[in-house]
Amino acid sequence: MSMHDHPPFFSTWRKAYWFAIALFAVEVALLYAFTLRFS
Amino acid sequence: MNRLDYIVLFATILAIPLYGLWRTYNHPNLREYLKGDRTIRWGTIGLSVLATQAGPITFLSMPGQAYESGIGFIQNYFGQPFALIAVCAIFVPIYQRLKVYTAYEYLGQRFDKKTRLLGGFLFLIQRGIAGGITIYAPAIILSALLGWDLNLTIWLAGGFVILYTVVGGTKIVSLTQRYQILVILIGMALAFGIAVHRLPADLSFTDALGIAGKMGKLQAVDFSTDPSKRYTFWSGILGGFFLSLSYFGADQSQVQRYLAGNSLRASRIGLLFNALVKVPMQFLILLLGAMVFLFYQFEKPPMFFNQPTYQRAVESGSGPRLQALQAQFDEVFVQKRELLQNAAKDPNWSVQVQQLDARARAIRDDTKKILEEAGAAPKSKDSDYVFITFVLQHLPHGVVGLLVAVIFCATMSATSAVLNALGSTTAVDFYRLFWPHGSDHHYVVATRWLTAAWGLVAIAVASFCSLVENLIEAGNILASVFYGSILGLFLVAFFLRSVRGSAVFFGAVLAQTMVLVLFFTTNIGYLWYNFIGCVAVLLFAWILQATVFRSDAPATIPT
Repeated sequence: MSMHDHPPFFSTWRKAYWFAIALFAVEVALLYAFTLRFS
Repeated sequence: MNRLDYIVLFATILAIPLYGLWRTYNHPNLREYLKGDRTIRWGTIGLSVLATQAGPITFLSMPGQAYESGIGFIQNYFGQPFALIAVCAIFVPIYQRLKVYTAYEYLGQRFDKKTRLLGGFLFLIQRGIAGGITIYAPAIILSALLGWDLNLTIWLAGGFVILYTVVGGTKIVSLTQRYQILVILIGMALAFGIAVHRLPADLSFTDALGIAGKMGKLQAVDFSTDPSKRYTFWSGILGGFFLSLSYFGADQSQVQRYLAGNSLRASRIGLLFNALVKVPMQFLILLLGAMVFLFYQFEKPPMFFNQPTYQRAVESGSGPRLQALQAQFDEVFVQKRELLQNAAKDPNWSVQVQQLDARARAIRDDTKKILEEAGAAPKSKDSDYVFITFVLQHLPHGVVGLLVAVIFCATMSATSAVLNALGSTTAVDFYRLFWPHGSDHHYVVATRWLTAAWGLVAIAVASFCSLVENLIEAGNILASVFYGSILGLFLVAFFLRSVRGSAVFFGAVLAQTMVLVLFFTTNIGYLWYNFIGCVAVLLFAWILQATVFRSDAPATIPT
């Protein structure tokens, strides 16, 4: 069995990874805004 | 610490393992002992992974790091979310599909026995020593400040962990870690709240942050490309990525946590939970350090936080010189406090406060020199004593006991995961390989004995080691020296499909030798060893396969 046997399953996880990256980007943006505000 | 603190401390550190023993006591087979009984959900995995990484050093040293140098250290974790996603996408499905007990078992299936042994051996050396540091680091600080016997503190932190880890295996480690990390988070949140509450009443939280920022403590993100800067966005992303990829993908103490999941989905969500929670959690711990820094702008701090060392120097005849420095330090503190109290009226306060702060730092540096001359050189950085001094001197009774319990919980959770992994790797990758015909029960007993043996090794290392560097960095440096080569083995396995066992084995030996030579002869920043070691294995393995081992039989790729 490989990931390619289940395209919808793989696609769901791919979306989850992108979602995690997007949330992390928001975290970094907030930290940067915090830096600009208080430095 | 009074009686209430001791009751809270012992109730907390004993209740969790006892509950774990009650919940998990049975006669497991080898799979249950090494991987749990496949009932562990993503929440427990997420907290277990978080607890394994966040050892006592995180909670003792990190606030002190922010007190000393600001919260820029947060950037070291920027590579971690990307690494965790890579582990979810590449490492976890392979481990789950092949049903391996350890990460190094996969190397044996992909390459050969000697490569599996090399991967396991590098892990055992690195983690065997690191386990000792994990126990020693909090013990040296707590024993110094509380007047406890060092060896007794080491045994208190390590002895009970050995007992419950040996009895319960992976399941008890995951279960106890879930509650230990909750105690840790509650304790740290309480400390944060009290630190903010103890600031002057007329100072709002926003104004407090403004002062800390003007004093250079709140620069969380720095996009500078200056290589001389220690913590930047770029070094965090690149160096942090390789360190985290190796740690989460190839370090059995973490692999064992997520392989205990009841499904591939549970393992992945548990890891993604960490990708999102780690940075905010570390930010709050560092911000707590900045709040403690602010607190000590209005409440006079000790000139040197490691008071036992300071007192030794006074007793050995350096008293008059230290008293002279203390007088200067007190004067600087009073001037600085006056400026901060009148900050609203004086637009130039920040420049003057920064100058005074630099002077206070210079006085503390002079103090350290006098301590060294007096033969009372401290075994760890003074910043490691900042947070625990704040806790012991300024938090109410009961909370003090809880915060000391936080340090013990962090020690126990990190150590149990390491012992569990060391015992499993030695049993599965070494013992079972050379003694293949034992029964399932035989291997469970062998793993228990080996886990206990590694516990004693960790305590022996803790009893004999003495640190000279910052506690956070001692662990990270040790990891970085070995992690690059270990990660390289796995990346060759995944991505260089033409490379076979002998080429990757000798490539990794060459790469590890090169990293050790560089470590002892140059001053390269330690995070870079992860990258150098990893790339060197990939390169050497590829070259050796194309030249010396060109005639080797094609590799069998496990799927």
